Amino acid sequence: MSSKSLSLKNISKRFGNVNALDNFNLEVGVGELVALLGPSGCGKTTALRVVAGLEHQDAGTVLVADKNISDVPAHKRNMGMVFQAYSLFPNLTVEENVAFGLQMRKVSKHLRLKKAHELLDLVGLDSQSKRFTHQLSGGQQQRVALARALAFEPEILLLDEPLSALDAQVRVNLREEIRRLQISLGTTTLFVTHDQEEAMAISDRVGVMNNGVLEQIDTPDALYNKPASSFVASFVGTMNRIPAHISNGMVEIFGSKVVALKRGNESGKVHALIRPESISVVATTTQGNAKVLTRSFMGASSNIICQTADGTIVQSLMTSASTGDLLPGSSVQLRILSSEVLVANV
Amino acid sequence: MAKALRIKFQPPLAITLLILGFFVFLPMLSAFEYSIRTPLTGGYGWTHYIWAVTEEDFLHYILRSMWLAGVTVLITLFVLVPTMTWLHLSNSKVRGLIDGLSLLPLVIPVVAFAVGAQISFPEFVQNTVLELPFLYFVLALPYAYRSLDIGLNSIPLKTITEAARSAGANWLRTITSVIIPVIRGSVMATIALTFALSLGEYTLTVLLHWDTFPTWVTYVAQDNILGAIAISMMSLIIPFLILTVITLFVPERTIQGRK
Amino acid sequence: MTSQVIEGGAPSRGRAFLTSFMKNILPAAPLLLIVGFFFLFPITRLIYVSFLSNDNTFTIDNFKTAIQEPYRTGFINSIKIGVFSAAIAAFPGALAAYFIETRGSSKLRRTIAVMSGVLANTGGVPLAFMFYAALGIQGYLTKALKYLGWDLYSGTFSLGSFVGLLIVYLYFQLPLMVIVFSPAIVSLRREWSEAARNLGASQFNYWIRIGIPLLFPSFIASFLLLFASGFSAYATANALTVGNLPLTPLQIGGLLDGNVSAAQLNLGKALGVVMIVISACAVIPYLAIQRRSAKWQKR
Repeated sequence: MSSKSLSLKNISKRFGNVNALDNFNLEVGVGELVALLGPSGCGKTTALRVVAGLEHQDAGTVLVADKNISDVPAHKRNMGMVFQAYSLFPNLTVEENVAFGLQMRKVSKHLRLKKAHELLDLVGLDSQSKRFTHQLSGGQQQRVALARALAFEPEILLLDEPLSALDAQVRVNLREEIRRLQISLGTTTLFVTHDQEEAMAISDRVGVMNNGVLEQIDTPDALYNKPASSFVASFVGTMNRIPAHISNGMVEIFGSKVVALKRGNESGKVHALIRPESISVVATTTQGNAKVLTRSFMGASSNIICQTADGTIVQSLMTSASTGDLLPGSSVQLRILSSEVLVANV
Repeated sequence: MAKALRIKFQPPLAITLLILGFFVFLPMLSAFEYSIRTPLTGGYGWTHYIWAVTEEDFLHYILRSMWLAGVTVLITLFVLVPTMTWLHLSNSKVRGLIDGLSLLPLVIPVVAFAVGAQISFPEFVQNTVLELPFLYFVLALPYAYRSLDIGLNSIPLKTITEAARSAGANWLRTITSVIIPVIRGSVMATIALTFALSLGEYTLTVLLHWDTFPTWVTYVAQDNILGAIAISMMSLIIPFLILTVITLFVPERTIQGRK
Repeated sequence: MTSQVIEGGAPSRGRAFLTSFMKNILPAAPLLLIVGFFFLFPITRLIYVSFLSNDNTFTIDNFKTAIQEPYRTGFINSIKIGVFSAAIAAFPGALAAYFIETRGSSKLRRTIAVMSGVLANTGGVPLAFMFYAALGIQGYLTKALKYLGWDLYSGTFSLGSFVGLLIVYLYFQLPLMVIVFSPAIVSLRREWSEAARNLGASQFNYWIRIGIPLLFPSFIASFLLLFASGFSAYATANALTVGNLPLTPLQIGGLLDGNVSAAQLNLGKALGVVMIVISACAVIPYLAIQRRSAKWQKR
């Protein structure tokens, strides 16, 4: 396979007075799928465009398999890219679109059409090969774009929010398909998205970005359970921020003392960061420590929103079976299920 | 994503603007120089402009052209805007027909249209200058229609209308106080366009033997060339000012934007 | 759509028709009436009358005369000036539109849009004055060129000649091209050029395979519209020529004014109908191409 590793070293890029990338570093191994996740304007798309050569960094180097390609123009870099939407050439048919990269590489017509059909077959669109792109649905168009980006066996595949313009159902199907193809072809892939579910679902590692800086890059699992910063903790998944008091490395939450995991003040007021599934809600007949505000049923699990006596809103995620008596207004006892919590400064 | 701020100097653009500017402004400035000559003293001055605006006919014709253009705008506002709103809402079968009709004036050379108009209308129509706004309206229709069409297509018309109706507004109020304000950008553009086109119309007007500001220049030219040049300069500047002022009110997004 | 409940029986069907009429057509009636009376009616009548002889019997003699001299030369000249002015204005205008739309700031683009709108509508006596002042015998540019050793007026050149008129026509044709072609430029998505570069296309390859094929239909369409504009321009030709250059719009104007008399009363109408036919040959394909490329542009 022609797939190669990618690394970005100390990349900086400014637009006017906005720092899109600030001394940005990233390593993507051969055959790995890394997602860059972050709010809009965090610099993730800029990073991708620097890799593609569509933007030039102010400082730093881009290496592909340890070769510096910083000054190679975009059309000489061997990278396939899938754009947000509407990037297919409207004057070409589906197969001509897919074969375009090979045509530019002077592959004979016979061979490039053969390859195009192979790829179209992989994305399940071979039957549409003679059509023009505006005759396809949004999901089909993105499949064609994916086939086009892969047809010339690029060293790196770049995905720039390729699913964001699609309907929810199509989005889920297509992301699974992207992952399946990426694994079977073994293509090193950089995937930019603002949708954390998407990033977590299909990536080997996810990098969370904020203000042009990579806050943390880790496996989805580690990112969720061991966020390295308060930003990551709040951005990935739902996180309760509960005011608490810290002393001697312990915080007291809902009446029980738990170990505080590093970061933050050593003593005084802090926020304890707790996932909804780490909080249990039990109905009491006596005076509890909170009241139920709403309960939303979501199938196997239910979401309970409570308010504590001091006014803090707390969200809990529990199996639906154990929430039958949690009616809005009822008095409840909140309990923390984990023995250690992350804390952040107020 | 953060957009690149392009303050860079653009040589191709600069060259383009230079060549275009030369071609556009050289004749304009040459004529302007003529218009401020004062033959008696050999110097420069506003003599001809002052002569023109103090001329009795000047006010007469410019007012006439203005109110004719105003009537054309009224027809556009009171006939075209409601009709198009209704067409967009109702899916009526006549929409296709009106779509096609609105473009048809583009096909007909104005000279041919003038011949047709001259031989068709009954006396009472031909004898009133009010026939002109209706004919101007027809000439402006392809442009006005397209510009309103863009505006109406860019908003969720059905939702807005249903919201207004369920809030108790009748059709008239829905159109005047909800829809028109929402598409005011393209309505303003349409008004600007219709007004400017009516104000400057020459061919049809002169062939139907009416006198307006643009045709008056021709008479002046017969005995006061420099005065006529001064008037010509004004006739260029007036629509330019009107269009500029009106487009200042048009919100930017109605002018097709790039991402 | 209105689905009327028909209660059976003739009278209620009549009423159903009436309500359907009121719902489907009545609101459009004012517009249809205006367009019908002030546009369709005169054009229909023009066509009808063009087939009438002096004593109101059907004839095609008007058309026979219309395609003979001197009207034949009028048509040839008019078509020529339409084609040449469009051909000369099209490419520079397209290029200008491209640079303005892709490199210009939003303020510049808006200013140019307004200016083009005004300039594309200049014509007649004001335009004639401007060119007399610049390129007339005593014009500034004429003097400048003479100083540089090129005497414009040493030959047969005059502003009322074919070449002179052609130059003057460019004054409104160029801005018109900028206006008509700009939307095509705007509809070229940045993603297309980026995708092409990403797939290995050089700038040159992008233009050859994608950019030009995408712009070409609009370019042809714009050319056709410019042709129609140059072909049927009346005011400017009327102001600049003194009967020395036969052009169809002027010939029709002459017949209409009664300045020129013809044996056939309805000859002018026949000339008008032929003009409509020629103009339609250009404008209808223009409209068709516009509609087709709207498919790519609309999202």
